[in-house]
Amino acid sequence: MTPLHFEELYQPEWRELETLLDLILGRRNAPKSAAPIQGQRVAVLYRRACEHLALARARSYPAYLLDQLERLTSDAHQVIYQRHEFGLAKLKQFLTEEFPRSVRAHSTYVWVAAALLYVPTFVIGWLVYERPELILSVVSADTAASYERMYSDSATSIGRAAEGDWMMFGYYISHNIGIAFQCFAGGLFTGVGSLFYLLYNGAIIGAIGGYLTERGHSATFYSFVATHSAFELTAIVLCGAAGLKIGHSLVTPGRLGRVQSLVAATRQSAAMVSGSAAMLLIAAAIEAFWSSAGWIPHPVKFAVAGACWIGVLGYLTFQGRRAD
Amino acid sequence: MLDTVVAAETPEGIVLELHPAGLPARFYAFLLDWLIRLAILWGVAIVARFLGGIGIAFWVVLLFLLEWFYPIAFELGRSGATPGKKTFGLKVVMDNGLPITPAASFTRNLLRAADFFPFCYGFAIVSMLLRQDCKRLGDIGAATLVVHQPQAAPRITLQKVEPVAPVRPLAPRDQAALVALAARAPTLTGERLDELAALAASVSGDRGSTGSAVTHRVLGVAQWLMGRRT
Repeated sequence: MTPLHFEELYQPEWRELETLLDLILGRRNAPKSAAPIQGQRVAVLYRRACEHLALARARSYPAYLLDQLERLTSDAHQVIYQRHEFGLAKLKQFLTEEFPRSVRAHSTYVWVAAALLYVPTFVIGWLVYERPELILSVVSADTAASYERMYSDSATSIGRAAEGDWMMFGYYISHNIGIAFQCFAGGLFTGVGSLFYLLYNGAIIGAIGGYLTERGHSATFYSFVATHSAFELTAIVLCGAAGLKIGHSLVTPGRLGRVQSLVAATRQSAAMVSGSAAMLLIAAAIEAFWSSAGWIPHPVKFAVAGACWIGVLGYLTFQGRRAD
Repeated sequence: MLDTVVAAETPEGIVLELHPAGLPARFYAFLLDWLIRLAILWGVAIVARFLGGIGIAFWVVLLFLLEWFYPIAFELGRSGATPGKKTFGLKVVMDNGLPITPAASFTRNLLRAADFFPFCYGFAIVSMLLRQDCKRLGDIGAATLVVHQPQAAPRITLQKVEPVAPVRPLAPRDQAALVALAARAPTLTGERLDELAALAASVSGDRGSTGSAVTHRVLGVAQWLMGRRT
């Protein structure tokens, strides 16, 4: 069979597939048609096009034919193997089972990450509370002063210094949340990055908490951080745990290659990380709209914060147990 | 090994060729995405100033969303690419050629924090320059690949030449070479075409001779191979 004959014979099928793909992908030159797309027909035409491409390659047909078929098959391949995982059912399954179960499946990493974050928090916090001058060995004098201004009782809106400092507020939120993702990504450096970020941020949080407590701003400070930290600190721990996992997979790949082992580890911890991302989003919203609102009385904030902590920890511990 | 093509075999038994995008193309795409994000934040900031506290709280949340979820939202969309990538004809796929999965998109974008290290995406740039498939650290971890989207090749119309039957049977490779020569003919100068055709002159029984008449017959053989008989 000559190339021209081949093209003439199968061109109608290719055209049909191309038109269907244009419709599915919503391309500009797609014909306006109300008829529903026949998925089965697309699959049949795709397999035919694959056969034609294999034939055309085996027979060394001219480049333009191969090009056309390669483009057609790769487009159709993308459409046919597209995974649709965005339905509400999928989201529900993720929230009720996948995420909490993935956290429990990695409980060792989670406990280690929690220890790495909270041990320095309490140790440094206590040290700074006892000897406030130690804060200067963790943060600079200016930063310490600005934190003190932010959380002093006279501040109109907690967590920021003045009306013009909203930019700083925005910076703190995206920075705090970025910390979680850094704890995860740091795992790529054989886990040392996660280790460092967890310890470092634990120390910073402890130092600032201890310092502000010692200066007598505890009511303002704790009522500000208590609510969103339920989500933020937990997400940092979970991201850190995922980071430790991928770091561990790089150091001890077992029978896999190092890259294979890394890919497997990121795949297994993806649910934990994307769940944490959702928690961070909640944390950002709470921090922006609730925590910084000065008009809400402290007891209300502490009550809500307690409910949030119990809710988050209870959710991660008990949700989806039946499926375990 | 100059080619950076990555071969991905499909369950249908054909091999798809993926063309990984290099550093410059990805840099331009990143720059465009960055400008788009900047423009959105700037526009919203102007409105937010008038709304006061609530407006600015909204802006803060938007800042977080755009920084981390802008690429994820677009990569999981229909085109599999952010507007920047789309403009430069790039697309994110799994490194086995399949469309990107939600988990992989999350992973590759959150691992950006490692790519950013130590500053200005230093590790990403080093990794992309060192690897033949131009993956940054996030791509390695998530097993994804940024590829050039296949562009439509212009359909080649061969010059109208009288078809000539070859004087001897030709192997598929030789046939392909002749057809490729005919396809390139319009872009070559007459002298160069004659030179190249002289190398293939044996197919029309003109071994050793050269000239426009020989070239004419060689191109005629290409026409015959394509399937034209008159």
